[in-house]
Amino acid sequence: MTQDVSTPGTRFSGRHPGLWAAAFAAALGVIAYFEHRGLLGGWRSLPFVAAAALLLFPLTKAANNRQAAAGALSPATRRYNRRMLIWSISYVLCLGTAMTVRNYLDPQGTLLWGIAILPSVPMIFFVWTLARYVVEEEDEYLRYRQTSAALIGLALVLLVGTLWGFLETFGVAPHVPAWWVVPVWAIGLGLGQMMMTSAERRADRT
Amino acid sequence: MKNRLKVLRAERDWSQQDLAERLEVSRQSVNAIETGKYDPSLPLAFRIADLFGMPIEAIFLKD
Repeated sequence: MTQDVSTPGTRFSGRHPGLWAAAFAAALGVIAYFEHRGLLGGWRSLPFVAAAALLLFPLTKAANNRQAAAGALSPATRRYNRRMLIWSISYVLCLGTAMTVRNYLDPQGTLLWGIAILPSVPMIFFVWTLARYVVEEEDEYLRYRQTSAALIGLALVLLVGTLWGFLETFGVAPHVPAWWVVPVWAIGLGLGQMMMTSAERRADRT
Repeated sequence: MKNRLKVLRAERDWSQQDLAERLEVSRQSVNAIETGKYDPSLPLAFRIADLFGMPIEAIFLKD
């Protein structure tokens, strides 16, 4: 089940996955800025969002290469990365479609319910992907590592959600839509992985 | 929990990858166990003991 560490990276995907994640976040930030300025919006944003989503491919490849180099790329991890890529792309497409339909077709009734639910569907599969990973991972340390990181993500969601909720209740912070829980959880998951890596490096030095 | 995994591995001239393949775990797992960052489950501890032909308590030691 253990993969060799010698999987070579391509010229671009050999870069740190964090760089691709930062590039993806920056691309979405630029699109949001142009939407805020009224230069983009609705269907005009879709090609740019789709292009930004292409960055998820090298991000996944770089993550695979990095995990292989660290001796941590199990078959279950490879499947997890691939599923996360699929559902991330699906999320971008579903969200873009839902926003465009809402802005241009003025949907009512069942259609409005349908497009409101649409972006949540890939999110359900995000959770399913994590659950499948925990079930499929045969390497107990890798499973422990990912479960710990997910709990750190959950802790961040609970802390930030509670804090922001009370700030809203007392009228000192603007309303934030509840769908932010998944991005905050994903940030926590990434932080959790970084904390685990940092602890491993400390253990290596002692 | 301390362990003698690194010494036992060195005595056999095995790399972490060699040991990982014999135990059917990731190299990162071997590294985490060796450095004391992670204590293996009882089934994995038995696999390690079987591989080295030693009792568990001869490999894993109380702090």
